[in-house]
Amino acid sequence: MEAVSFEYKAYKPRPFTKEERPYTTILFGGLTFKHERLITGALENMGYKAKPLPNIERIDLDIGKEYIDVGACCPTTFTAGNLARALMDIEKREGRDAVRDRYIFVTVGACGPCRFGQYHESYERVLEGLNLRDFRLFLLDLLQLEQSAEGGGLEVSMPLTLGLVYAMFMGDLITDMEYATRPYEVKKGQTDQVVKDSVEVLYERLKKRPIVGKKLGNFLWHILTDYFVDALKEVKKLWDEIEVDRLQPKARVKITGEFWLQTHEGDGNYNIKRWLEEQGAEVIPPPVAVWMDYLINMELFKLEDAKPFVKNYYLKKLAISFFAWLYRRTYDKLRKALNNIPNPLPSQRELKELARPYFYYRLAGGEGHMLIGKALYALKHKQAHMVCELSPYGCLPNTMSVGAMAKVLADYPELLYAPIEIKGDSEVHAYSRCQMVLTEAKRRAKEGFEQALERTGLSLEEIRDFEEKHPQLKRATYKVPNYGYVGTSANYVMHVAKLMGRLR
Amino acid sequence: MSFLTLPKLLGKLRSSQKGQARRSIKVGIPKFLNIWGTAPFWVGFFDSLGMKVVFSSDTSEEQYRTYGKGRITMDSCFPVKALAGHIGELLHKDIDILFVPMIYSLPSFLRGHVMDTLCCTRVMMAPENIKAGFLKEKDEFKERGIKYVSPFVPFGEPELLPKYLFEGLKPAVEDLTYEEVVEAVKEGFASLEEFDKSMREKSLEILRWCVKNNRPALLVLARPYHMDPGIGHEIDAEFQLYGYPVLWYNYLPIDKWLLDWLGISLDISDVWTSSYSSNTNEIIWGAKFASRFPWITGVIRLSSYECGMDQPTFTPAQRIVESSGTLFFKFGELDETKPAGSVKIRVETIVYYLEKYSQDIIKRKLSRLGEVPKELTL
Ligand code: SF4
Ligand code: SF4
Repeated sequence: MEAVSFEYKAYKPRPFTKEERPYTTILFGGLTFKHERLITGALENMGYKAKPLPNIERIDLDIGKEYIDVGACCPTTFTAGNLARALMDIEKREGRDAVRDRYIFVTVGACGPCRFGQYHESYERVLEGLNLRDFRLFLLDLLQLEQSAEGGGLEVSMPLTLGLVYAMFMGDLITDMEYATRPYEVKKGQTDQVVKDSVEVLYERLKKRPIVGKKLGNFLWHILTDYFVDALKEVKKLWDEIEVDRLQPKARVKITGEFWLQTHEGDGNYNIKRWLEEQGAEVIPPPVAVWMDYLINMELFKLEDAKPFVKNYYLKKLAISFFAWLYRRTYDKLRKALNNIPNPLPSQRELKELARPYFYYRLAGGEGHMLIGKALYALKHKQAHMVCELSPYGCLPNTMSVGAMAKVLADYPELLYAPIEIKGDSEVHAYSRCQMVLTEAKRRAKEGFEQALERTGLSLEEIRDFEEKHPQLKRATYKVPNYGYVGTSANYVMHVAKLMGRLR
Repeated sequence: MSFLTLPKLLGKLRSSQKGQARRSIKVGIPKFLNIWGTAPFWVGFFDSLGMKVVFSSDTSEEQYRTYGKGRITMDSCFPVKALAGHIGELLHKDIDILFVPMIYSLPSFLRGHVMDTLCCTRVMMAPENIKAGFLKEKDEFKERGIKYVSPFVPFGEPELLPKYLFEGLKPAVEDLTYEEVVEAVKEGFASLEEFDKSMREKSLEILRWCVKNNRPALLVLARPYHMDPGIGHEIDAEFQLYGYPVLWYNYLPIDKWLLDWLGISLDISDVWTSSYSSNTNEIIWGAKFASRFPWITGVIRLSSYECGMDQPTFTPAQRIVESSGTLFFKFGELDETKPAGSVKIRVETIVYYLEKYSQDIIKRKLSRLGEVPKELTL
């Protein structure tokens, strides 16, 4: 008897072999151009050809909608459309065979509950729509230090994983430098140029990184040598050249939200970070490193919950705690090379505790409890005048924590919070919602600045005179300590007063 | 009786005395999201602890309008928003504890064959979201003297279940002991298993009837809470009016002889690789079952407006079903209001197709399978 013919099969990529590696380009995307350039360096260092997808554009949303099932969240639609556009371009330029045989696409999968873990389903609709089901798309698990795709052409080994982690860290640090500097730069455009130059320096360093040892040896090499610290020290010199004027009171706006949307810089989130800067804000960007830190710490918290049922509990706890500690220590070491201008990572335990009355930490998916935790963290640590949460249209977890914020706002009426729904095609609406809260944030920034001037009895002229005599103060890399104010300018006034001996 | 068994017996007596004392404690449970599908667990669990369960009514537009509206601060699918109506309604009932579990993972029959059995993020997070609407101006639970209990519930990690439930309930039930909760969890699982088993037997009976009478049946692919008349709008019942037996994907028989005959197992990796979501996995498995079982000639897919978990499954589920010529009909974008008129018209059209093609479909599907097992023709 003939067996049931059952034609539908899930997409399975053809194997990618080692022999194909020299002439096959790995396509990837989803982060800022800085992170992507550095990831390219890390991949090239390991003998791969790699290329990020083109920058997200508004048109990707329309292309995405055309290919994938209705009702997708805006990050899925944008990234699916972006992949489709990239593949169509390659096909136009190099022909269909080239798309099939000379390119593969690698994305992160295996992430569980929300759609993030199912992005590839939408990407597969794109491949079907383009009649390219034989194009190869591979999923990697974010938490696996070592893994390989079928065929052995793509091997994620310890050196590659660590290369990617450092690429991510350095991408974050340069992004922090950028947003802390640009609003205050004296020469317009200088920051952007230095960002580009810094990324190129770091790209070269990643590309030329010596591959020492295989597993433990390689791990030790990364934590014991100063290869990347030295690279960042070199980069710091570029930033030393930027002159800033910190006597401009600006609202500090912390960006939070869904992972892709908050990290993204471009049409996908209406370029909202640039727009905020144009409106007189200093943006605090969200580092990718926080999310990875969250994933590591969640393992620790889960272990603590399961204590009575875990064999070798203390040993396991020690191992994960050490890993978590090392992760932060490495980040801090790199931060220090840039004179600690980039922000430190928030304590995950504190985020969890802050969020606890409103959002339970084991509710995983998207940013989980972190959105509430981060908003309260910014308030308690006087990190920002306002929190701008980027919430994708159609997002599953984000809608839930935005709802839970109602109680947070009732308990903390002083918290300025702007949840902005991003659909991808209703820019004006998003800007105007943000503007309403920003106006109050700017007022608070100005008030803080004036208060600092009043407290210190300093005039702007006196400060400027002092700056003339101490030009290092005007360097982008000069670290201004915190004196209890949120605003950069207010803390700067206090600092100058202290240096002048005018602070009691 | 030895001295060793005496303390145990005394322990039992003590707990049943406590049980008596707790008979007056009434636990209100909103009938929302994945309470559908796990309700027998909760009944068994609280019964074992000696408490009485009071469920809210089925979802309805009126319930939502009266008790829920104005408490929602974000946009979401209706099954989540409806929770506000259920909680509001229970606040007006005579209850002592309001029990709103954050169900993180489910005790799916596919466990062990899939990567995980998680709930949709909105399902697990809904209580935190909706709770805010009852707390933002004043603590409405406290005001009414009701203790709000909302434990984290990972059915997929059964060893941790008593711990989370104990921690959640302890502040509301002071004399509660951990051992009692361990026992109650066992009771809960036993009553859930028994219920599921009886439902699967009922489904098998229906399928046998179809075989015997050579009559087509329909299968519903949805989320369990689409069984709620206010969420699924009783679309399945419309088909029953035309004499079509309707089965639900989550209570299909899973006897080995049947699956062997159909050439399937509980594995879905051939058609769905990201098998994390419990309901999604079962929907996909149900699609496989429907595509093979000869007398299921049509599939009704129900999906709520803005359902992000269903979205990636639309094409695969439809393709799986249609790959064997089985008819597939989708009622998507279900919301708070019943689209009564349009449903009626669509059902009429669908019934026309079912009548026209069902016998061909049965024959075609039968021709691809071995001899009908005797267990089906009993
Ligand atoms: S977190 Fe939200 S926006 Fe991101 S993939 Fe999940 S559902 Fe989509
Ligand atoms: S599965 Fe769909 S309908 Fe159910 S809560 Fe999640 S998004 Fe809403």
